[in-house]
Amino acid sequence: MPRVAKGLELEGTVLECLRNATFKVELQNGHQVLAHISGKIRKNYIKILPFDRVLVELSPYDLTRGRILFRYRN
Amino acid sequence: MNTTVQITRVGETQWQAVTDDVVVGHGDFSQRPDGRRFVSIDVWDDAAFAPLATAMLAALPAPLRTLVAGGDTALAAHWERAGFVPERQEWEYELSTAGRDGRPAPGVTILPAGTADEAELRLLERQIRAEVEASSGWYSMPAEVRPGPPGDTLIDPSLYAVAVHEGRYAGLVRVVRRGRGPARVGLLAVRAAHQRQGIGRSLLAHALHVLHEAGTGTARAEVDRSRTAATALLEGLGAERTGHLLHLIHP
Repeated sequence: MPRVAKGLELEGTVLECLRNATFKVELQNGHQVLAHISGKIRKNYIKILPFDRVLVELSPYDLTRGRILFRYRN
Repeated sequence: MNTTVQITRVGETQWQAVTDDVVVGHGDFSQRPDGRRFVSIDVWDDAAFAPLATAMLAALPAPLRTLVAGGDTALAAHWERAGFVPERQEWEYELSTAGRDGRPAPGVTILPAGTADEAELRLLERQIRAEVEASSGWYSMPAEVRPGPPGDTLIDPSLYAVAVHEGRYAGLVRVVRRGRGPARVGLLAVRAAHQRQGIGRSLLAHALHVLHEAGTGTARAEVDRSRTAATALLEGLGAERTGHLLHLIHP
């Protein structure tokens, strides 16, 4: 299989819950992104709240947008 | 943008969409302990959704289910174009724990979490699950059937407060606290023969009172939209709707 580029994955902290399951997340490098929750998180009923530490995959097309892949246990 | 999307099954439960050597989408499949099969798709390029859905539907047995946040009309439209139809909806509620009178209704005694007899609690939980299964079906409940030993869905008895009515264990509430955030009312149920006696309200008021005493200011709960008694109970206690979740099914 040819090598393919995957989205960058970074840890961050949820700053704010916005509308439509969107969150403002501050990444470890200090950048802030708008992130949706992944379908995998939604179907497992995992709730994302402010102060949660999360793993975010950044969009390959727009590094200000991301998707929350995982919520760490605080 | 080159719209040629290549779909590959990269694991037993995972699919991947690639465009121009960049991963632009993921598909995921999981089966819950109660047998229901769920899929999810996340894409960075809308053109990847339909090919991912087609590949997954071809490989997995029906029926398949998925969940979409109520306000996410774009995602819901993708699933509907793939042949999914609405199955049910859940309201998401948030309620303050402040100002609750923890006293139960007359004739009802509440055993705080961790104090009920474990064998009787397990019997109560099995009876409630059997009653639900024989009526509306457990599949219609927001609460998941959690993985555990075969035949055992009560994983941590210390999380359950129990209502005693007419000398019998009649209802239960399970509340989970997590860090500094809101607690979650994961399950609130009353045996059929003891309903309409204020037991559900007593259990919920007790749980909120205990949370408040412990410094948790907010609790969350999900309720199937068709369950008017449950929504009336929550709204009667001042719960506010904060969102809803759409369940879709591909029959």
